[in-house]
Amino acid sequence: MSNNIILQVEDLHTAFFTRKAVIRAVDGVSFFVREGETLGIVGESGCGKTVTGLSLMRLLPEPSGRIIGGKIIFDGRNLVELDKQQMRAYRGKMISMILQDPMTSLNPVYTIGDQISESVKLHQGLPDDMVEKEVISALRLLKIPAPEQRLNDYPFQLSGGMRQRVVGAIAMSCHPRLLIADEPTTALDATIQAQYIALFKDIQQKTNVGIIFITHDFGVVANMCQRVAVMYAGKIVETAPTSVIFKAPRHPYTAALINSVPRLDRSKDDRLDSIEGQPPSMANLPPGCRFAPRCTVVQDICRKQEPPEVKVGDEHSVSCWRVN
Amino acid sequence: MSIERKKADDIVKGFKKRRTATLQWNFLIPVAVLSLLVLTAIFAPWLAPYPPTQTSLTERLAPPSFMEGGNPAYFLGTDTLGRDILSRVIFGARVSLSVSLLVILITASVGTLIGIIAGYTGGRIDAILMRITDISLSFPAILIALLLAVILGPSFGTVVLALSLFGWAGYARLVRGESLRLRQADFVSQARITGSSSMRIMTRHIFPNVINPLIVISTLQIGMVILAESALSYLGAGIPPTTPSWGAMVSDGRNFIDVAWWISFFPGVAIGLVVLSGNFLGDWLRDKLDPRLRQL
Repeated sequence: MSNNIILQVEDLHTAFFTRKAVIRAVDGVSFFVREGETLGIVGESGCGKTVTGLSLMRLLPEPSGRIIGGKIIFDGRNLVELDKQQMRAYRGKMISMILQDPMTSLNPVYTIGDQISESVKLHQGLPDDMVEKEVISALRLLKIPAPEQRLNDYPFQLSGGMRQRVVGAIAMSCHPRLLIADEPTTALDATIQAQYIALFKDIQQKTNVGIIFITHDFGVVANMCQRVAVMYAGKIVETAPTSVIFKAPRHPYTAALINSVPRLDRSKDDRLDSIEGQPPSMANLPPGCRFAPRCTVVQDICRKQEPPEVKVGDEHSVSCWRVN
Repeated sequence: MSIERKKADDIVKGFKKRRTATLQWNFLIPVAVLSLLVLTAIFAPWLAPYPPTQTSLTERLAPPSFMEGGNPAYFLGTDTLGRDILSRVIFGARVSLSVSLLVILITASVGTLIGIIAGYTGGRIDAILMRITDISLSFPAILIALLLAVILGPSFGTVVLALSLFGWAGYARLVRGESLRLRQADFVSQARITGSSSMRIMTRHIFPNVINPLIVISTLQIGMVILAESALSYLGAGIPPTTPSWGAMVSDGRNFIDVAWWISFFPGVAIGLVVLSGNFLGDWLRDKLDPRLRQL
């Protein structure tokens, strides 16, 4: 892992404009990713993880979703300022993305060879025999057995795990520098999930790709990520190296999340902790800290003012009044 | 070997045999019928025993030759003006087939284009295109066709234009609905992720996925178009009456159905054959185009 930052997101704001309300799904999020590093983005459903990922790709559902502030600096350029055509040149080639459900993210009417070569042809302009070589090497990279034969298979002929590998092969086919993986293992069962994660660690070592791993599973985070950003209601409440966050979480939400994960070193009579209440409605946020209504150590100030982000250690920062 | 094992083996064997034996029939029969009709249309002047417009008033309303009182010179009998039904059916294939083919080609292309653009782009463009479609659907097509016939004069071109002018709306509706659904599909997001342009997504990803319903509708349309053409002919706004067309022949015989059923019957059979073959062919094509069924 080098120290070379490839993606720097600064104060990103994304909102959905609907007839009823404006939903600020991502509300001032900042983070960075280094070459060859995996950053985990963790949080409950609806906290803005996926919207963050889609914002980076500039693929928000139009016309309701829009980036309304902040910078996405990739390789020295601010992606927010690019026009559609310039952005297309980045997608697939420089930044790639893996979606959650492998059963639907492949086009049923094309062979997988066709689908992988589509992106290769689009971005690399190679002659046909070279395209096939690239496609096969992408399939090899994802450790898909007998790639020459798989080329002519249709998606429905493959299992879920194999399809997700094909999706990975599409994502990696043009050697992107950044990969956004949006819960790629959620639809897979536990063994396949472990294989998939091992596979991506291996790929990362070979290609030095930076990965943003969006998940709600702390187990996956522990396995895969060097650093973690915990999101709650559109904000990042804590970022830290993975080892630190498991040992010494500083934000009450992070601590509660970690305590709700089953662990081998806890007694089996011990009940798992849960976090009382529901996340706030994004259209109607409480004043002050967004976690305050559910926080067990809440103070007066938490309900009045939003806590600032405070640096508490090496690459470890928290937004919580308790920390000051 | 256990009994169950033997049973299972027999089923597998039976399946294999059936596959090689039956696979082709649902394709061969409609293709044979349709190509026969197309060939008939092309070689009509050589095949027909008489010119289609030749009248012979002494032989009016002659029943088919195989019936009692039939004239051996007129295999399928004659109509009210003593014209040979067989010759007219053979020549009628030209008009009926070319009109329906042309109209389906035009309406399917225009409808698909509009449907995909509306469904995929959404928003204001969708709203505008769909309102135009609604207007087109709500107009009384026959009335406009009559108007066109009055303005342009009844001709082959007028019929094609009149039928195309309204036929596309159904396709547009269907394709728009499918595109709307497909736009949300993950594989479309996947295509956008790899940097495909909207144009590319519409042609490469949306279009192949709407082909199946398109084919089904198109094959059903064959019958509709032939019937619509006959309605126009009946009203005098269709192909000029000297040119034989199946639809016009069916309506010509309507008043004589009790005394000379053959005038309407044989062109009716021809229409039925085309429609049925079209449907069978459509079924076969749909199975062929669906990769999930291709293995069987």
